[in-house]
Amino acid sequence: MEVINALKQVLSAESLLTSDEACRPFECDALSAYRERPLAVALPSDVEQVKAVLRICKQYQVPVITRGSGTGLAGGSLPLKDGIVLGLSKLNKILKIDPLQRIAIVQPGVRNIVVSEAVADYGLYYAPDPSSQIACSIGGNVAENSGGVHCLKYGLTVHNVTSIKIVDMDGTESVFDEKDDGIDLLALMNGSEGLLGVIVEIKLKLLPKPEAAQVVMAAFHSVGACADAVTRVLEQGIIPAGLEMMDKFSIMAAEAFAKVGYPTEAEALLLCEVDGSHDQVQVDAKRVADILTQAGAYQIQLSQNEAQRIALWKGRKNAFPAVGRFSPDYYCMDGTIPRSQLAYVLEEIAKLSDKYGLKVANVFHAGDGNLHPLIMYDANKPGELATTEAFGGEILKLCVDVGGTITGEHGVGVEKLNAMCHQYHTPELEIFHGIKAVFDDTGLLNPGKAVPTLHRCAELGHMHVHHGQLAHPHLERF
Amino acid sequence: MPQHKNIDNQVMRWCEQIKQAQVDQQIIQISGHHSKVLRDAATESLSTAGYEGIVSYEPAELVITVKAGTKLSELKAVLAQHKQMLGFEPPDYGDSTIGGTYACALTGPSRPFRGSLRDFVLGTKLIDGQGRYLSFGGRMIKNVAGYDVSRMLVGSKGSMALVTELSLRVIPLMEERSYQMEMSENEAILLMNQMAGTSLPLSAAAYYEGKFIYRVAGAHPLQTNRVGVTEIDNDIWVRLNPFRPQLPPDVKLWRLDVESTTPAIENTIAVGSCGMRRWVASKDKPNHPYTTLWQAYFAPRHNDTPRVAHLKNGLRDVFDPHHIFKQM
Repeated sequence: MEVINALKQVLSAESLLTSDEACRPFECDALSAYRERPLAVALPSDVEQVKAVLRICKQYQVPVITRGSGTGLAGGSLPLKDGIVLGLSKLNKILKIDPLQRIAIVQPGVRNIVVSEAVADYGLYYAPDPSSQIACSIGGNVAENSGGVHCLKYGLTVHNVTSIKIVDMDGTESVFDEKDDGIDLLALMNGSEGLLGVIVEIKLKLLPKPEAAQVVMAAFHSVGACADAVTRVLEQGIIPAGLEMMDKFSIMAAEAFAKVGYPTEAEALLLCEVDGSHDQVQVDAKRVADILTQAGAYQIQLSQNEAQRIALWKGRKNAFPAVGRFSPDYYCMDGTIPRSQLAYVLEEIAKLSDKYGLKVANVFHAGDGNLHPLIMYDANKPGELATTEAFGGEILKLCVDVGGTITGEHGVGVEKLNAMCHQYHTPELEIFHGIKAVFDDTGLLNPGKAVPTLHRCAELGHMHVHHGQLAHPHLERF
Repeated sequence: MPQHKNIDNQVMRWCEQIKQAQVDQQIIQISGHHSKVLRDAATESLSTAGYEGIVSYEPAELVITVKAGTKLSELKAVLAQHKQMLGFEPPDYGDSTIGGTYACALTGPSRPFRGSLRDFVLGTKLIDGQGRYLSFGGRMIKNVAGYDVSRMLVGSKGSMALVTELSLRVIPLMEERSYQMEMSENEAILLMNQMAGTSLPLSAAAYYEGKFIYRVAGAHPLQTNRVGVTEIDNDIWVRLNPFRPQLPPDVKLWRLDVESTTPAIENTIAVGSCGMRRWVASKDKPNHPYTTLWQAYFAPRHNDTPRVAHLKNGLRDVFDPHHIFKQM
């Protein structure tokens, strides 16, 4: 093919994969239910090569799917049959660390954990910590606006990135910096899922490592009581570093896996971590324990040392694989809801679970309202994946209907295109497509992801009632 | 189940006004109480003044939704009743509204430690240049569905859409103490950067009138044990924010956004944001890429690269294809 031949002119043989065998690892990201063999995989070693690849793809009108480490959970880097995968894993250099200014400048392929490791000697770290942080790349984090268990206190990726350099299909560089005036293009790039440009350089904010951290574990006889307890902690002016809740099935699975002493008879378990200076942590941990006791926790445990703290987290951190042991496959959802709706939403999910005949385990970032129901299914049973997706779709609708959103941190990718039709109306989707066209008039950057076509939504039947909304002012808006 | 909320009459009227402006080929200037932008008599006025009030507020969800014309003073008072606050400490120029503050992207002294205004924006409702009422983002702290339009429009200065409603993340009101220490500007710039890298819970750091001034939140070691440190009133941060020094008529005030460790810049009269902001008083424009003239009512810099200018113009066309809204 002409495009492959052109790419061969700028990339060495080991940087351009074209055989079935070599391309196979790039057929999917962490949403492995969706797979596609790309035309080729380009693995440039520097920014000049990235530009060259983009120019060639523009010349031959070939779609470009940018990929970091492939840990995305929504199919954001699912290849296209007639497209090139642009893998940025070789752009893995930390370009600058300035401990006094508390910043690091990195290439997009640098793994998340590597940044914190590199700056640890200065007493600094990079705060966003998605659970895949050992593998996931900073470029991918920016593209998805990744979160993590600490984002209630320390923010998402968008809060911790101060400058980005992108390259467009012409190979032109642009820098978006927090010091810019006018509209905030830096904010726009976070979570843009590879549709607006190829991120080639990122400046990260580094924070001083907290002096101390302590975790409080609390067990409850009901989910409602646990959710209320979270509300009381936040009402009292404490912003925990981490605030995680598990339902009965997750507690059981996590305890069977990690054996850390979780009370398996509990209906809901809360892990609340406070961090900061020694003085502040002592005050806060005591207050959290008191509030949770008053709120009806029947068992409370405070970590007395670092080993205990890590042990108490171990179960939660392994909740996904732990649940995975009880089922051949599981499907992870990512809705967010107002905390006040948690008990209602979990009840409805239980009803849906009966309706579809599939079990669900729920883990919940209770502080920021991010719910991860894990639907257990067996991909080898004919039709069960489709049933699971239908079930998941109903959960996402439920999240939107209670005032939440279809994705808190995993992104839309290909997975939640239908759910986007439920969350947004035609005019908003038109704006999204307009934004895409401004940045990428070729339409070649990760086409078909993140924003559904109006046609798709019309076919789903969500759109017609919203047409002419201004003529019908009593229609609901959210 | 979701709250059913009707589009209110004022929003309907604005939608009609904007559509009519397109027919009449009239330019619209969006404003609140004109605390930051002068009235342009050549344009049609659209004022959010009086479009005020709290739409919803549940303190435990850490989110407040307000109408754009709500005054900062009212918003702060409502939050304070529940021991909460706006984490970005916006400057109040006198009857400033939250909508105008959003449009001008204004953040106070806590910026390096708690984030800027846009970091606290969760969702917006707005009317675009075609008179369409749209909703972006929501009330969730985490939301990655669709492009982040609510944050992107921070700093758009009314040039792309009329933002009618905002959902903002709020933070607990913390007990804070302020301190000062005499030293040179360069010593202060170094020290504030060093301290920001320690576990001391700083919430503001500045240099003004020969003194390094800093604020600490929550439980912390007694600072007055340090040699030369005295405690001062927290009011200092309100006096510096907004920063409105008395200058001779021929001297202009310039706001420079710089790397926090940049050494002292000539004619600086205050260092803010832990070194990231420098206020320079001079007749001529300081030679620095991120310099904004701060006297002529927030004059924009217009120093974008051709590509970035192209992107911004393109985005403007997406939101306001008929160029109804006045440009800064």
